[in-house]
Amino acid sequence: MTLLILAAVALGAGLAAILLAGERRTLALAIGLIGSLAVLALALAMPDTESLIIGGVGMISTPVVRAMAVAWSASLAVLGLLEVAVGGRPTVVGPSLVGLAVAGLALATRDPASSMAALAAGGVAGVVVPGLAGWLDGPDMPSRLPTTSRGTLAILGSGLLGLAVIAWSASAAGPLGGGAIPLDPGAHLSLGLALLTMVAACAIRTGLIPLHVWAARFMEGVSPLAIPAAFAWGSAAFVLVALDWSQVALEPAAAGDAERWLIVIAAMASIVLGGLAAMVHDDIEHVLGYSILQDAGVAVLAFASLDPGVVAAARNWLVASATVKTALAAWASVVRTTYGGHRLDDLGGWARRSPALGVAFAGILVAAIGLPSMALFQARTDLVSSAMPGFGQVVAIIIAAMPAIYLGRIAVAGLAPVSPAVAAGLSGRPRWTGGRAVGWSEGPLTQAIRAIPTELRANRAPLMALGVLVLAVMALLTATGGAGG
Amino acid sequence: MNPALIAIVLAIGAGAVVAVSTRDGAAAAIGLAIALVGSALLGDPLPSAAVLGVRVVAALLVATLIRSSMRTGPRQPSPVGWPSEALLATAGAVAGLGIALGLASLAATGGGPVGQPGIGEPGPGGTVGSGDALVTSMALITAAGTSLLAVGVAPLLHGRQGPRRAIGLVLVTQAVLLLRIGIAGPAVELEEIARAALLVVVGATGAALARATAAAAHRLDEGEELPDAEAVDESPHVLLAR
Repeated sequence: MTLLILAAVALGAGLAAILLAGERRTLALAIGLIGSLAVLALALAMPDTESLIIGGVGMISTPVVRAMAVAWSASLAVLGLLEVAVGGRPTVVGPSLVGLAVAGLALATRDPASSMAALAAGGVAGVVVPGLAGWLDGPDMPSRLPTTSRGTLAILGSGLLGLAVIAWSASAAGPLGGGAIPLDPGAHLSLGLALLTMVAACAIRTGLIPLHVWAARFMEGVSPLAIPAAFAWGSAAFVLVALDWSQVALEPAAAGDAERWLIVIAAMASIVLGGLAAMVHDDIEHVLGYSILQDAGVAVLAFASLDPGVVAAARNWLVASATVKTALAAWASVVRTTYGGHRLDDLGGWARRSPALGVAFAGILVAAIGLPSMALFQARTDLVSSAMPGFGQVVAIIIAAMPAIYLGRIAVAGLAPVSPAVAAGLSGRPRWTGGRAVGWSEGPLTQAIRAIPTELRANRAPLMALGVLVLAVMALLTATGGAGG
Repeated sequence: MNPALIAIVLAIGAGAVVAVSTRDGAAAAIGLAIALVGSALLGDPLPSAAVLGVRVVAALLVATLIRSSMRTGPRQPSPVGWPSEALLATAGAVAGLGIALGLASLAATGGGPVGQPGIGEPGPGGTVGSGDALVTSMALITAAGTSLLAVGVAPLLHGRQGPRRAIGLVLVTQAVLLLRIGIAGPAVELEEIARAALLVVVGATGAALARATAAAAHRLDEGEELPDAEAVDESPHVLLAR
């Protein structure tokens, strides 16, 4: 029941925030923030296992659902505060709350067709709202329309494809013959085809290479704060539902040698090319985008074996990497807002100018790479090793080294001498402006209270850095503990 | 023979053809409403009143949303004309019947369970024909789905941005939802709610994109400069056409 209340609150607050964003910015932000905090409280209060039946379908909240709801709503509350500081039309919290509501329901529902339909419906807002109303170069620019249109097609198309393959598999003529796994070896071809189609749906949803063009344009066009809902969390929920269905309906028998290698090749294309693209790009939004694609590639490797242990690792990986990339997106947005630039050439000495932001980035760097004792590191190793027995351990270490290079470049730029663009930006160090509002001469307490808005405005940059620091700590905690997968 | 079911399939096809063919926005919205409400009623036996209500309300809401986006948008009739669209819809329906019968044959060959919902013969509604007729209600639902798919794919993938693409998006979504029932049998109540929500979201998204396109085209017609079009080395009109 707690999950149902959580979904209702998130859906209501999210829709209200979306509908009010155009005319009543402050109210929309307030509703979004309060909604995020209420959802966080409900997620924390949610028991690890709880079940109920709705519309003839069982809904079971599991530790993964709870972990995802807690991590997503907590990071969303911080993103909401950052959205207040960054300014502009609110396009982050509303769609994220809608996405969170449907993701929670979809993961808890035992009917995969309902889950797919809900994810397709709930995921669209994460692309359409920032695409139509939050384009950074100007909300009325026509270039946003093709990208938003393609993004919509990708989200809906992946959901519809998933729905179709679930229906086919459940039909009397499908690979399951309307019942259990067939014993006839000839039917394994159908099973493999169903698995590959579901992987294709995941590839479309997550924007895996070579289906990444719209995703790349979208990520460079909208605020980085809007990217986690559309890609990191939305994709994670989709892949989790697809994995659960594949594991339960198709079982590991579906992943034969041919299917396994096709999946490995598709995933490795995104892992290798995404990692290389993140290494060579100077644009921090591109680094963020390609690193998310790389993470999705690692998660897709779980389809290559469908072993229960690997699926559990995929759950840990998806939730932890989504939290890490949310922190990275927040960092990118704050850097862009504070210093105006988003290319490494313009960001020399950013960490010197804002030490809190530098510390937060160090935390993100550690969480993204992972340490051998961390759940994220172990999950990546398990996923790669299971897909490529024999040499998977080595490949996993190489993949882990990639974030060290592309995030390391950003860290090095932060320690370089301060560039003119960064020097001209806001200072990341806290300061006290004196605190006395003009014409105010009453007692010190009242004076201090009256001074709060002035001090908040004066310390906008360090406060935003503090927000990123909070997200970095969350990323470290999730990377360490996983999702209880 | 259940003539009502066949009549509904014909109405769905006709509504879809009108929706993508006509120059008149109101007629297109009416055609879309007929296709969507017909799809809601396509079932033998009919679902419960609550499920039927959810389906019909969602269908009418989608038609209203699409209609609202047509008031300011450009008129986008079918470039090939309604006779071609009608032939396409017919071909799609025939292909759907063929697929349904082929899958039924496959299921029978593979020893699939008989009597369960979906392609397995006969479905819960039994056969539509009499005697040896094999056209089940599920086969008709599949035929309606493939018919909508045939009519909706071209405007969705190759049409200019605007109301026509929104109609294509809605038709293709409805087609997949029908195919889901035609192939795997009736949905549970929770899925019915999710399907209705998906259809409404698709309609709202299509309408929002169509309105944004119309607004951008209006600004272009007024001669306003749109610098980002130059940044991607394409004219604004080309961008809007994509």
